[in-house]
Amino acid sequence: MSPSLQNWIDIFVRVLDKLPLTLLMMVLSLFFALLIGLGIAIIRIQKYRYLYGIATLYLSFTRSTPLLVQLFLVYFGLPQLLLIINVDINHWDRLVFAIMAFSFHTGAFLSEVIRSAYLAVGKDQFEAAYSVGMSYSQALRRIILPQAFLISLPNLGNNIIELLKDTSLAFTIGIIDIMGQVRIILGNNHGIGMFQIYVVISLVYWATCIIIESLVGYAEKVFRKGHVGLSK
Amino acid sequence: MITLKNIKKSFNKNPVLHGIDVTVNKGDVLVIVGPSGSGKTTLLRCINYLEKPDEGSISIDNFTIDEKSASKKNILTLRRKTAMVFQHYNLFKNKTVLENIMEGLLVAKKINVAEARLISMDLLRKVGLEEKANDYPTQLSGGQQQRVGIARALALKPSVLLFDEPTSALDPEMVGEVLSIIKNIANEGITMIIVTHEIDFARDVATKVIFMADGVIVEQGAPKDVLVHPKHERTKLFLKRLTPEPEYEI
Repeated sequence: MSPSLQNWIDIFVRVLDKLPLTLLMMVLSLFFALLIGLGIAIIRIQKYRYLYGIATLYLSFTRSTPLLVQLFLVYFGLPQLLLIINVDINHWDRLVFAIMAFSFHTGAFLSEVIRSAYLAVGKDQFEAAYSVGMSYSQALRRIILPQAFLISLPNLGNNIIELLKDTSLAFTIGIIDIMGQVRIILGNNHGIGMFQIYVVISLVYWATCIIIESLVGYAEKVFRKGHVGLSK
Repeated sequence: MITLKNIKKSFNKNPVLHGIDVTVNKGDVLVIVGPSGSGKTTLLRCINYLEKPDEGSISIDNFTIDEKSASKKNILTLRRKTAMVFQHYNLFKNKTVLENIMEGLLVAKKINVAEARLISMDLLRKVGLEEKANDYPTQLSGGQQQRVGIARALALKPSVLLFDEPTSALDPEMVGEVLSIIKNIANEGITMIIVTHEIDFARDVATKVIFMADGVIVEQGAPKDVLVHPKHERTKLFLKRLTPEPEYEI
């Protein structure tokens, strides 16, 4: 094996070594972001008094400030803020702060994905659910959300991919994910082989995205109910 | 027995119902006819609180609800005494035909799955769609979807069955199959309130007819009195427009 090929493989292996951490951040952030998104979406759809204002403010702030700023706010700002009320979270793992920041950030975007999907289901489905004697929460759980989920899938896929790439900012607070690993390799090499290393990490992100895309595409096929073919 | 007292409803200060009183006896088939915008659909939707009346009370059997007692719990109780067939079918798109009928049984009636399945299959047989049990609504024709809609409503064994223009969205060929099913149900003595534009059907199936215009009841009574020998000018005008005399010789 030529030394140069060996070199490529070495870099791949070292970058892939950190992929599980990147995926862990993505999956946990996605989980919490979905919960936040669902909550915010329902608050805004139902126009709950007081909560509506808070939700809209959160949405506006989160969508209008860079993720990097939010990450620093959570990592550096939140512990200081909580110290005022004598809560010390300085010893928490950096990963917790990163996941918090990513969840809040992605949650805002997902809330709009969920809200638009909910509205797209249509009033007629609610009316039918009510007419057979369902309560609001039963209608939501059994009829509306399953349909909204299907409608939201393409947008959800987009946001998952966006989230995956966003996790690359975690290295700025010292988390060694695949991006952090790349910085370490470059630091040790004094910047030699920069091109090669960035090509490798691009390919890793790219391949992961392709896998996510095909999973979402597969989910769309599985959850679609009674699709009637349309000739083109 | 169903009693509506002084039902009033406005949309954005635009009055649609000006205090409607209706009584329907058990086993009656009440047909409401009238021009578009007369408030007949709104009245029907008030009966199961899909529209909240601004004023007035609704009594079904021994349960009464008015604008002051319309809590979530009371509205749910009212809805569980009624069932509705919609103009645009409104079948649950994420459920199969069979599941569509079972939903109300499982959720509102708390019947177990096996029994709900039996009841639902029976009803599907009744509307002639047992072979479609596992299809999804999008795979059915309009007439078939409406038959499922009727089966879904029937499954609940409601005190009153509400029909909101059940054939208006169907093409002429399918109207017949749906109307004949409704006629069969009417013969079984189920209390029904039907909003429709099918005057011939109304004459056939109704035990009582109400003619509405501009948010008031203009005329009510036996089908032959209202639809064949109407007393009011407004009713005569409406019926005449439905069956226009040719203006030229063919």
